[in-house]
Amino acid sequence: MWLVRRLVASVAIIFAVVTFVFILIHVAPGKACMGEPGESADPVECARRAREFALERPLPEQYRRYLVALAQGDFGYSFSLHRPVREALADTIPFTLQLAGAALLLDFLLGLGLGIYQAGRVNRLPDLIIGNVTLFIYSLPTFWLALLLLLVFGEKLGWFPVGGASDPIFCPVVDSAYCVFDRLWHLALPAATLGLVGAAGTARFQRAAMLEVASQDYVRTARAKGVPERRVVLRHQLRNALLSFITRFGLAFPFLLTGAVLIETVFAWPGMGRLAFDAILTRDYALVTATALIASVVVVAGNLLADVLLGIADPRLRVRSGVDAESIAA
Amino acid sequence: MPRRSPFAFIVILAVVTIAGCERRGGCTGQYCGTLVNAAVAEPPTLLPPSTDNVVAGDVGEQLFLKLADVGMSVNTIGDEDFQPLLAQRWEWDGPLTLVFHLDPRARWQDGQPVTAADVEFTFNAYTDSTLGSPFRPKLRRIASVTQRDASTAVFRFHDRYPEMFYDAVYHMRILPAHLLRSVPRDQWKTAPFGRQPIGDGPYRFVGWQAAQSLELGADSTFFLGRPAIRRLIWRFTPNLQVAVQQVIADQADVREQLVTPDNVARARAAPQLAVYPFRGSIYTSLTFNLRANGDTSKPHPIFADRDVRRALTMAVDRASLVKSTLDGLGKVPPGPMSSLLGIWDPEIRQLPYDTAQAARILNAHGWRDHDGDGIRDKNGQPLAFHILVPTTSVLRRQYARLLQEQFRAIGVQADIDELEFSVVNERLGSGKFDTSILSRANDPSPGSGITQIWTRAGFGGSNFGRYSNAEFERLVDLAIAAPTRERARALWRAAMATINADAPGIFLYSLENVAAVHKRFDNVQIRPDSWAALLRTWRIPPDRLIDRDRVER
Amino acid sequence: MTLGSWLALFVALIGAAEIVRALRQRGLKQERWRRFFRNRTTSWGLGILVFLVIIAIAAPLVAPLDPIKQHDPVHLKNLPPSWTFILGTDVFSRDVWSRVVYGARVSLGIGALGALVAVSLGSLVGAVAGYYGRRVDAVLMRGVDVGLALPRIFILLMAVALWDGLPFVTLALAIGLTSWFGTSRLVRAEVLSLQQRDFVVAARALGAGDGRVIFRHVLPNAAAPIIVSAALGVGNVLLLEASLSFLGIGVAPPRPSWGNMIADGASSLYTAPWTTLFPGLAISLVVMSLNAVADGLRDALDPREEGGAA
Repeated sequence: MWLVRRLVASVAIIFAVVTFVFILIHVAPGKACMGEPGESADPVECARRAREFALERPLPEQYRRYLVALAQGDFGYSFSLHRPVREALADTIPFTLQLAGAALLLDFLLGLGLGIYQAGRVNRLPDLIIGNVTLFIYSLPTFWLALLLLLVFGEKLGWFPVGGASDPIFCPVVDSAYCVFDRLWHLALPAATLGLVGAAGTARFQRAAMLEVASQDYVRTARAKGVPERRVVLRHQLRNALLSFITRFGLAFPFLLTGAVLIETVFAWPGMGRLAFDAILTRDYALVTATALIASVVVVAGNLLADVLLGIADPRLRVRSGVDAESIAA
Repeated sequence: MPRRSPFAFIVILAVVTIAGCERRGGCTGQYCGTLVNAAVAEPPTLLPPSTDNVVAGDVGEQLFLKLADVGMSVNTIGDEDFQPLLAQRWEWDGPLTLVFHLDPRARWQDGQPVTAADVEFTFNAYTDSTLGSPFRPKLRRIASVTQRDASTAVFRFHDRYPEMFYDAVYHMRILPAHLLRSVPRDQWKTAPFGRQPIGDGPYRFVGWQAAQSLELGADSTFFLGRPAIRRLIWRFTPNLQVAVQQVIADQADVREQLVTPDNVARARAAPQLAVYPFRGSIYTSLTFNLRANGDTSKPHPIFADRDVRRALTMAVDRASLVKSTLDGLGKVPPGPMSSLLGIWDPEIRQLPYDTAQAARILNAHGWRDHDGDGIRDKNGQPLAFHILVPTTSVLRRQYARLLQEQFRAIGVQADIDELEFSVVNERLGSGKFDTSILSRANDPSPGSGITQIWTRAGFGGSNFGRYSNAEFERLVDLAIAAPTRERARALWRAAMATINADAPGIFLYSLENVAAVHKRFDNVQIRPDSWAALLRTWRIPPDRLIDRDRVER
Repeated sequence: MTLGSWLALFVALIGAAEIVRALRQRGLKQERWRRFFRNRTTSWGLGILVFLVIIAIAAPLVAPLDPIKQHDPVHLKNLPPSWTFILGTDVFSRDVWSRVVYGARVSLGIGALGALVAVSLGSLVGAVAGYYGRRVDAVLMRGVDVGLALPRIFILLMAVALWDGLPFVTLALAIGLTSWFGTSRLVRAEVLSLQQRDFVVAARALGAGDGRVIFRHVLPNAAAPIIVSAALGVGNVLLLEASLSFLGIGVAPPRPSWGNMIADGASSLYTAPWTTLFPGLAISLVVMSLNAVADGLRDALDPREEGGAA
């Protein structure tokens, strides 16, 4: 029952987001002449294109036409890429998923591990050192880290490829085990950049969450009862801290989608972030709205997933109206 | 722990073996070779008339043939310096009629022969207004193209002028009529043929991974000689710096423009790269808008005044700016031209760098600092304007900052508007700007470019600043029609001196291109107007083949 | 760098250290302050922040050279650090140290303003939603949900790239307006838990109006998450501004901001690394200090560690 209500709310949210983005991109000043960079801005040509794509109709009518097309699975046509939006997105989404997935994996494995390790050795030297290192990495601007990593590991040391998602010489398509390996090799640096910064944040958060749990009554009671240290850690701290972790997991995806635009620019990674950015700059209406749609779907789905997982993991937290993933994450 | 390690070891060994096996290829001999180009812009389509994207042009050079092409001297007058390609020979049948005889060996890659019907079809497509080809204005002096028989095409012109042959052959790449006739002209931009083209050139299309790479393979039966390099690959990297890094890190073979002196220094320092300078076809100018910002019916309050323009031009130390940003990679142009053009002559009369005189002229015209804020003003109006620059160009943005400082030194305030490319285009087209730093690419022929940009013919088109001078236009027309090269040069000199005196813009730099190419390539011929035109003549000696050359795919 | 500016720098350093020391001394008396200073990193963070704020305010004293002046584009560009230009010059022969110091004004200013807007708006919305409950709460929180579902960088990119040439203040406002959603949720949760507390009931019983209750009783007690949000918020806004400037759509030239300094220097990353290194370090340092201070604040204000009521 609660799930159904949340689903309905989620759809409404996505709808609202798309409407907002649609309006924003259409009322932005300076109707650029849609076309790829380098194409001349011949006013006659511009007018012709505007007529062709019905951009002179009033906004509500354009909006209605867009929704109708969307309902039929037609995402529109991208002027800057000369392709249907669907194709352009279909090409880039796999790359974004790869990057996001690899970064999240690194983020949570490393972050969880560090956080738990730190919590087990609170305020002793390893904790302090790791604490400061994670603080530093967490504060770095990601694009700066990306530039440095690319320079050091890509160009100077040559351990990793300099940008790109694939090797066009040996593996333009993935048709062998070697090519899979090659793709992973290209994925390494961009995922490492995102993952490291994410891991630093996760480590800090996990440490705090686990320490907070440690001071709660039931854990103290268990310890006082003489239950062995390890059991205390494993059963109580981990399980409850895991709940917070699940919420963060659901909330991490959206950042990766659009926050990755900087990483994708530096590493020339053909993902959705860069696509969205270029689309905004060239005022490619259809492409911008479509990427906003996808991004918000992912955000909302992530939230929903986090809530569902929380509900399963801890019945106490099953949602009454109002309390949900976000407030737990506080 | 001990139980797991042999397993892990085996897995790692397997991976390494597989990895090792894959990389070894079997190709040997002189027809192997892979050329990887770190390209910056991805083409929207590969159909030649539908786009003027630079990379599309480079790829088009390999896929489609022209009737004939310019030689290394890039001389566009007459027809002696042209190399036959699709046309085996040609002759003049009267003063306005040019007849081409096609090479009977020419074939499309699906087996069909190339015929004069293709030539006629191509001309009709290029000049069709529904297709809207950017090359259409360049073909306006050709009246018609018809086929006399299957291997003879006839070009008819409106009038006689020295570059008739150039116009007939240079702009069009001949297209397969039998494959494109059925595609409606207004859909050519998005036609599937543009993403999977079939041509008649030295290379075949192999594959295109969107936003990643594009591959061409050599056609071993090409009638003008089998290309030595088997695979041509374009890697798309939207960021120039990353592209340069790829070449330096030996993950790409060619970067046809290094652009900044820093990059050139790095390329020279890289042990596997050789550096090739060649004359550039781009010049850049700070163009003044002679009409009011946003209202082309009124003159601009500052720039309509010729003397003020001249003063501003004299206030800029062009030579120092070129030295600072480009070091040896650019030259101060003696007018609106690039060093590619044969009419380049440093002796042409230009305005000197003289800040004292600039200040005197401004003072004389009432532009003084009345209110003591460091900026000149007149009747309460400060001598301030905006410089419009696209965010895509590193060099132009650098120049904008340097110019800002130079103007500040004589009491002129320039604010920089760094805007996105399509917005800049839109503003330029509608006259909503004060000044803008514009880069123009020259064709090998000065004629059409100059007319389009600096005369009344370009109003509403590329002449964004709306400059016109009747004397200049007269001299340009005479120069274009001049029968001999010497006469043309003299007329061009006079024309350039005229436009320099009027200062419709400050001609900032002409870019010298520097290409970085992997040392293993021999016979690296780079034609200044199109670096990829002669790729089919590049070779790799068999003893210099490396891993990526030997791959069999 | 003149002798005077070295002196000023020295004074700023000592000053910052002294301020932190004085706060610590004073703080030892109170439980909360003691918890704040418990971690040495927090003290360092506070010290660095104070130092940077001092030199940002006293910029002309500490950095005598003009940050936008191009000293000699031909001969003095991309020089390594030396006695005249202590952090070197950039690609336009401008002094990097001056630009870092004046850039601190811009970046910290935008950070502070943006965070102020975000936290104010977020607290207000969260408090109102939590206080009134039911309908108002539902409506406001759905709005917040939409706001959270908006991909933030995306919206910012649109706002900034489409309305080109935004002035400083508008940029800060735009960033602030897209960053308040998380804070509102935090504040709401806090307010909900305070709802039934004695002082609220008492205040209402005494006839205090809703607005008064919210502003004078509820918000001050919900201060903990608000303050921590603010500290973190400045860091986030700063990073966002740096990202936007790096992409070319943030602070306009020639005005220095740490983000656009990195963008300018990116093309000579190999030959003149100091042009990107120092602004990058500056950003990292500030964000790090803010995070450290936020950690300390969280420790200090954590109600679980408090003995009793607010």
